[in-house]
Amino acid sequence: MGVKKATREVDVVTTGTFSPMCSSGVILNFGHTDPPIRMQKIWLNDVPAHGGLAAVDTYLGATSLSKTMEDYGGAHVIEGLLRGEEVFLRATSSGTDCYPQKEIETYITLEGINEALLFNPRNCYQNYNVAVNTSTRRIHTYMGTLLPKLGNATYCTSGQLSPLLNDPTFRAIGMGTRIFLGGAQGHVVWHGTQHNPTTKIVDGNKIVGGGTISVMGNLKQMSVDFIRAAVFPGYGVTMFVGIGTPIPILDEDMMRFVSVCDSDIYTTISDYSCTHKSKPVLGTVNYAQLRSGSIKIGDKEVPTSPLSSYAKAREIAEKLKKDITQGKFLLQEPAWQLPNKSSNKTSE
Amino acid sequence: MKTKVIFTFPPEIVEKPISHTLMKEFDLWINILRAKIEPSEGGKLVIELQGDEENIKAGIELAEKSGVGVTLLENDVLWDKELCVDCGACISLCPTQALTLDRDTFKLNFDFGRCVACGSCAQVCPVKAISINF
Repeated sequence: MGVKKATREVDVVTTGTFSPMCSSGVILNFGHTDPPIRMQKIWLNDVPAHGGLAAVDTYLGATSLSKTMEDYGGAHVIEGLLRGEEVFLRATSSGTDCYPQKEIETYITLEGINEALLFNPRNCYQNYNVAVNTSTRRIHTYMGTLLPKLGNATYCTSGQLSPLLNDPTFRAIGMGTRIFLGGAQGHVVWHGTQHNPTTKIVDGNKIVGGGTISVMGNLKQMSVDFIRAAVFPGYGVTMFVGIGTPIPILDEDMMRFVSVCDSDIYTTISDYSCTHKSKPVLGTVNYAQLRSGSIKIGDKEVPTSPLSSYAKAREIAEKLKKDITQGKFLLQEPAWQLPNKSSNKTSE
Repeated sequence: MKTKVIFTFPPEIVEKPISHTLMKEFDLWINILRAKIEPSEGGKLVIELQGDEENIKAGIELAEKSGVGVTLLENDVLWDKELCVDCGACISLCPTQALTLDRDTFKLNFDFGRCVACGSCAQVCPVKAISINF
């Protein structure tokens, strides 16, 4: 079927991704105590949460680490809440005339608190580099465990199913777009932090940049099928977030964009043994090569690991398709577009 | 036939030449895949036994009679499919390609026949879906 015919016949294409996304977390409102407290230091299952908001509001980041338990962090608290578990809340305060209580210890559940809003400042990287290690020792990174001397390679987007790779000019995905988020319906609320959609040419291959989105949704409607805590040994805790976006086929250009294949999408291979921000680039590779199980770097055959679950990405895209066809999920036109330029300043 | 087992040695029997007995008396081929045994602590031995079915059975019985705890490898390497998210973080760290992603479904395949219980997957699994009793 050609692009013309496909444009006439296809209304909407759905995308999906299920990847570790560190810049994630949850806004919680516990409800007031009697006598009231303005919580200044807050722990949930011994994981520190932010105490700089109003009395019983907090933000718990996915990567925040437990003070007492190894390999346990904010993402595990979020997963625990989703599983219906009781979470131990401890908070302290200096006390004021209007908020006299100085300490509280209690158990909370997802059902029993006022609000639980998943709010992720940066999710859904459009494209991301491949991580390898040329040093002689094993290294532990947010891209997983990397074996010495190019022993393995890891990559982390769903490639041809990745939301922003199917909408590279951000016509469908913008502020206000309704999306599949963690099993519920959420929204894109802004562009993501470090949104960097610039495209560059490396080794003659076009490398689409790293556009990102900030997303929000009601945690109470989400499910552990699509939100999961993750531990990367030697790095820490992060969270798998499942996101799917609908892309309406507005015209032939849109149809062409969503027809993108793994073999069309290139990314760079970066050496993570270099501890500087700009890492040496060892070449480029496409997602079809990455997904085959191994890539060639020089003469070496290097086994690959995805980190991002393609099986889950498919499940999300399918579920979203089903919800749209059944009329349970309505498409929402963006209020305004994501910027096409970078916000990528450094703090050197 | 071939079978992979994990022998658990309590400290009091580490001096007994059990593998040697299995080779000599039962004509078994023994391929040691992994071993960690300390004189005062005991330890574990991951081995592949090759030989007649009867002899393998008799050999395992003898080992058990001598005080060795015997489990099949696939009973000690536990993969919880419910917890697994099929991310594939483990596959490039598996030295024997026991772990792969299915070409069609992209779900994780675990071929216990290739597994040597090295534990690399259990160390890196982000959702702790694989554990190894070693």
